[in-house]
Amino acid sequence: MTSILESGYPYWNPIIWIIVFLIVMIVVYFFRRRGQKGYKKDTAQAQIFLCGEEVPEAEQRHIRVGNIYWGFFETLKEYYNQILRPHTGIINDYILWFVAVTAISVIILLIAGLAK
Amino acid sequence: MAALITHSPILIIAIPLAAAFLTPLIGMASKKARNALVVVSLTFVVFLVFALARDVVINGIHVYTLGAASPDLSIPTGFMVPVRIILEVDGMSAFFGIIWAIVSLAAAIYSLSHIASETGQTRFYTLLLLMVTGGFGMMFTGDLFNLFVFLEIASISGGALIAFRTKFADTQEGGFKYIVVSAIAGLMVLFATGILYAQYNSLNIAFLAQAIQDNYTALDTIALALLLIAFAMKTGMVPLHLWFPDAYSVAPASITGMLVITSHACMYAAFRVCFTLYGGMPDAPVVGWILIVIGLLTMFVGVTMAVFQKDVMRFMSYHAISQLGYMWLGVGVGLAVLGNPALVNPGGWGREAVSGGIFHILNHAMYKPLLFFTGGALFHYTGTRDLTKMGGLAHKMKWTTILYIIGTLSISGIPPLNGFSSKILIYESVYQFHPILTITGIVVSILTLASFTKAFHSAFMGAELPEYKGVKEVPRSMLIAMGILAAGIVFITLFPSLIVDSTIHPAADALIHQETYITAVMGVAP
Repeated sequence: MTSILESGYPYWNPIIWIIVFLIVMIVVYFFRRRGQKGYKKDTAQAQIFLCGEEVPEAEQRHIRVGNIYWGFFETLKEYYNQILRPHTGIINDYILWFVAVTAISVIILLIAGLAK
Repeated sequence: MAALITHSPILIIAIPLAAAFLTPLIGMASKKARNALVVVSLTFVVFLVFALARDVVINGIHVYTLGAASPDLSIPTGFMVPVRIILEVDGMSAFFGIIWAIVSLAAAIYSLSHIASETGQTRFYTLLLLMVTGGFGMMFTGDLFNLFVFLEIASISGGALIAFRTKFADTQEGGFKYIVVSAIAGLMVLFATGILYAQYNSLNIAFLAQAIQDNYTALDTIALALLLIAFAMKTGMVPLHLWFPDAYSVAPASITGMLVITSHACMYAAFRVCFTLYGGMPDAPVVGWILIVIGLLTMFVGVTMAVFQKDVMRFMSYHAISQLGYMWLGVGVGLAVLGNPALVNPGGWGREAVSGGIFHILNHAMYKPLLFFTGGALFHYTGTRDLTKMGGLAHKMKWTTILYIIGTLSISGIPPLNGFSSKILIYESVYQFHPILTITGIVVSILTLASFTKAFHSAFMGAELPEYKGVKEVPRSMLIAMGILAAGIVFITLFPSLIVDSTIHPAADALIHQETYITAVMGVAP
């Protein structure tokens, strides 16, 4: 079978996965069909309730990229402070990194060679 | 047909080169004819690459000697060493050739509309074809000096293409950084080539691999480090990735797609050096460990930097870096256990680790250019790369949205998409080496999905914004190019085993079994 990927462990077959996914979708659709029929589009029933506050216009409600995952960045603030430091944008720094990594690699490989 | 396949290694390099020189001439007469020349020549090259790859899988390594009485006469009569320029195409070269051919064609088709309003289009296509020539040359060449020459061709044309849109200041900066980094890397490759040539009087990779096995010196170690780190810097490996987003984010999207596979070409060169040139050396496990550590760093730093980005193209550039880490990890584990035949022969997890790394290159070559193309589509109409200014674009760009979702699910390794197939191969095999490698891979995948969800919400979701009322779906040629890559994703998704058995395992075996590559040129040792 051209679809079954074997890696020496439990195999992976995307066709089976897709069939299972479709079955789940059909079941979901079945339950959705059994839902409330009283929903009326474009009435007060469908409007957003924000604790009685005025709801902004649709285009002003879009959450921009800068506000997403705020907690994640706040928690990892120290990590980001450190990781952003080498990203100077200066080409001289980039080449300095290259020299340093090459020198370290040469030393590691020479020491490993001597050890053998 | 037989003659066409015999001469296909040189034709695959010569056709885009000839088309590059013809483009300015035909471009003076007709723009349509020029565009047709570019697309037709690259389509023919795709056909040739597939025919050659099929031949390599069936008949083994394809050696092509330039200027010889017969193309397979690698060592002239009366000589002990190969003296002519030799192209050597094995499973690994053919595999990378397929990737390079498909993405080049998609990039050319995408460019037809994407740069339609720019000046200097003839120069753009000339440089694009030269870049294609350089990439194929890197993958098919059998000697180190030509590897350097083709690397330079790809790098110089790539740098010029990054800086193509001269109306933006940051493109000039990006192009400059790319050229400086490429020049330094190229010089180190040349220096290492000089070290090996000075010792062994040859530039042929097969001959050098044999000679290094017989007489390994400290100078060989220095040459190995120079080659490895130079190519690693060109791929964007952490901590040598700093230039990568600066250059990739400012290029036209079609060229960013090409730059992704240029990274793959440099990765190919690094693998060729580690496995074929130095594969039999006692240093191989140490080099494997270096690749594993740097692979983990690349994955983690790449994805955490990506989550942080607000520029859609920088965001995707950091993800490209992160995904390259998976490839280094898989192949690095294979290299670390190369000395254990039970692990790298069929059925061994070392072979599966290498296969997973290589399979991920193929998947990455499909979904990453696709994602860059969707980023280019956003820029095409909004005129900005800033995600904070975007929103609600799914209302007008429905096809782009669907293609973005396909790319997102694939890069995040969500079943049943192709990214999952290669990641599961990597996870299961590197787990045998150390479980922490798999755990890191899974964490990086989760962060990848989280960050792509963030970008998806920012750009596509929400109400239609007033400033983008006039936005419409991108032109047909851009959709066709993205469709070619999406079709590739769907095909690999549905038939992973077909792909692994017919291309991935032959490529992994070509890397692992260094002696096959050497014997194809040098003949059987007496």
